[in-house]
Amino acid sequence: MESLLQHLERFSELLAVSRTTHVSTWDPTTVRRALQWARYLRHVHRRFGRHVRIRTALERRLRSQWRQKGASGSAAVPGLNFQALGRCDLLLSLRLLENRALGDAACHYLLQQLFPGPGVPDADEETLQGSLARLARRRSAVHMLLFNGYGENSVLEESVLKTQAELLLERLGEVPKAEAEGRSRFLSTLWDRLPQKNFLKVIAAALLLPPSSPRPQGEELELDTPKTPGEGGQELVHWLLARSDVMAAFCHDLPVGLLASVAGRHPEFSRAYLGLLTDWGRHLHYDLQKGTWVGAEPQHVSWEELYGRFQSLCQAPPPLKDEVLTALESCKAQDGDFQVPGLSIWTDLFLALGSGS
Amino acid sequence: MAQDLVGFSSDYQFWMQKLSLWDQASTLETQQDTCLHLPRFQEFLRQLYEVLKEMDSNTIIERFPTIGQLLAKTCWNPFILAFDESQKILMWCLCCLINKEPQNSEESKLNSWTRGLLSHILSGFRFDTKEVGLFTQGLGYVPADYCPGLLKNMVLSLVSELRENHLNGFNTQRRKKISLPTSAVVCLWLRHLPSLEKATLHLFEKLISSERNFLRRIECFLKDSLLPEAACHPAIFRIVDEMFRYALLETDGAPEVLVAVQGFTRCFVEALEKKNKQLKFTFKTYFPYASPSLVTVLLQRPEDIPQELWHQPLKHISEMLREIVEDQTHGSYGGPFECWFLFIHFGGWADIAAEQLVMSEAEPSEALLWLLAFSCSPHDGSPQRAQTMVEVKAVLSRLKKLLRSPILSAKDLQAAAAESQDRDPRPPLCQQLIRRLLLNFLLWAPGGHVNAREVIALMAPSDEIAHDMTGFLDQTLYRWDHLRMEAPRSRKLARELLAELRMVGTAMQGPGSPRPRDVMRRPFLRGMSAENEP
Repeated sequence: MESLLQHLERFSELLAVSRTTHVSTWDPTTVRRALQWARYLRHVHRRFGRHVRIRTALERRLRSQWRQKGASGSAAVPGLNFQALGRCDLLLSLRLLENRALGDAACHYLLQQLFPGPGVPDADEETLQGSLARLARRRSAVHMLLFNGYGENSVLEESVLKTQAELLLERLGEVPKAEAEGRSRFLSTLWDRLPQKNFLKVIAAALLLPPSSPRPQGEELELDTPKTPGEGGQELVHWLLARSDVMAAFCHDLPVGLLASVAGRHPEFSRAYLGLLTDWGRHLHYDLQKGTWVGAEPQHVSWEELYGRFQSLCQAPPPLKDEVLTALESCKAQDGDFQVPGLSIWTDLFLALGSGS
Repeated sequence: MAQDLVGFSSDYQFWMQKLSLWDQASTLETQQDTCLHLPRFQEFLRQLYEVLKEMDSNTIIERFPTIGQLLAKTCWNPFILAFDESQKILMWCLCCLINKEPQNSEESKLNSWTRGLLSHILSGFRFDTKEVGLFTQGLGYVPADYCPGLLKNMVLSLVSELRENHLNGFNTQRRKKISLPTSAVVCLWLRHLPSLEKATLHLFEKLISSERNFLRRIECFLKDSLLPEAACHPAIFRIVDEMFRYALLETDGAPEVLVAVQGFTRCFVEALEKKNKQLKFTFKTYFPYASPSLVTVLLQRPEDIPQELWHQPLKHISEMLREIVEDQTHGSYGGPFECWFLFIHFGGWADIAAEQLVMSEAEPSEALLWLLAFSCSPHDGSPQRAQTMVEVKAVLSRLKKLLRSPILSAKDLQAAAAESQDRDPRPPLCQQLIRRLLLNFLLWAPGGHVNAREVIALMAPSDEIAHDMTGFLDQTLYRWDHLRMEAPRSRKLARELLAELRMVGTAMQGPGSPRPRDVMRRPFLRGMSAENEP
């Protein structure tokens, strides 16, 4: 077991080095050894994938190897996980191929190994040549679909978001539950580090993933990883609600209809969202001259926007729709239960929605 | 060998030109042209590899000075790289250019250039925005990790878009639209059998689960599905037809399926006629196991023949069918099931035969009687069929007598249709046939006004029978429209009866009640078909 773990360590180092100029010192023998190690680890992945103890040990060791990136000293960037071991030879090959520092002789040897040509018998069930060809094929296919205008872009943009959401949940699942607050901290780090607009969209997509979609590799193991997006989704919601700054950005930036969908799926979120909306509503006062509700400051949300959001929520199926109306009614009652417009924003909203719904 | 090289050289020139034309496959025309040539180009790449692998890098450059251009243009074309094994063969070719020990700067540059192209093929095409790239990197993933998942999500979402569009009709305004022209849909079906099967199954679901007995709506669904038009391609026709055949067998000849087959064939023939100028296929390609002369006669349109002469094609059809069915050796045209299946495609002829028998003053012709008996019970042996023909003949002669009476009552009809006491009770399919003859008679007999409600009450004691009669009347009215038959009194009566039946039908069917089960099943179809596998 220990030798296996050492092997893993050495390979991770190798993988890191393969991107650097250090490879200029490599000769064909080095390349051969590197590929052998990769092949061995692939074999390990296949052989011990369902063996809980070994897999756990390997995952733990891999996680401890994630190096820190950036000067900020924040948490580690995730790296190789157990699943990736299943294609570690592919990953290594790609890095070496892209590395201009690799010498001619080493490169020539590498290419011979990677692309032996037709008629090579398949001792292993899957050759590296096949995997590389498949990757090239898929990349071109994705590029082709994205840039040749099949349908409107939104159809495919959603797929890109969905894929990012799946990746997010996968990583989230790798943070062990035992680590106190581990998952919140992980999400917070991501929020600080990654482009935020995109991150918000990905969170929404993750919260809307179908509950029964299986994990990519479909392996069932009794580890403390969330098996379904359902669990990961819960964690996301909790984190989102705990971070008022993220929540505010989430509710401000994302399209109104999308928020309504998320609210429909996650009751905790819908409650918090309603709370936010009532907060926003309280900042508006009635301007007699203009004859409409306005905010005291420019950053306050406008009447139209508030109305739009409530309208969108009311278009959702019950129980959300009913919840929203109940909340509005209770606000209206607290405010004095006026029936005429211009006195309470909740009355006005209620009236406006009533005529529409 | 020299000749091979000459041939290869001209191929090489050809493809160089093509590649320059296609550039990076940016316009629709170049894309279409590229796609059409992909298999042949792949073959060329294979041949190229065979030639290159025998040479070393320098010889290659000497022999094919423009090879760099050819390979580079290929590498930049995503359509080529996404096709089959082209990307693999291309990489083999590139590897042939790599020099193990470059001797000078030129050879080094070539190495570098080649490695750049290889790298591009594997890691070059950008398919994410900067933001997405940062996101995935931030999570510690590389494209090789998520590319397969991304492609899968994209394809799934496109497929479900297409399916939704298809179910709701391509004309619906949708938030997200993928509008494929008909030709593209047909192309998809020609290349991907599961899509065609799914489309056909969706059509079945629509036809069979709702809108029963509303032929106009069935026709709309059929035309919207694009399947009849696509079926002008014999390959598509054969597959859809096969699915109909299967559905027929599985449901024991359910009337809904029969109606669907007939509707489909009608729309198909219409579509075929529209494409008449480009018609490349003989009828034999669509019906390979059927007698060509029979198909030709069946395909005739009754509206193109004067009504007085309808008995001629009918007689012809009957005789040809009879010959095939009664031929003990089963010949080359399949047995009774195949004949019957072919015939019911053009079910209108059976309806016309029934009408003719009822309307004509003369003795009922043997040919028509046989045709009707066969169409309703194809599995019967000769004795049973003969028995059916005798019964029908008896009922017809009783009905003819009623023609002379000025007033018809429902009881008169019932008496005419009554079974004789000293024989075995009529099988349900024969009963159905008699019922239809009665209805026909009712619609055409000049004598008196019959109380529609009374008739229905007497003739349709059960849901199933009411259902069957509704279908019959709907089909009859539909047929009269198509044949442009002027018959105001008959039409009026038919519509009244239909309205009455439909009202009764909905009254009987409460919200939770099960759908009326059809007793007009033909479970023996399976036995018939199995013995006649061609």
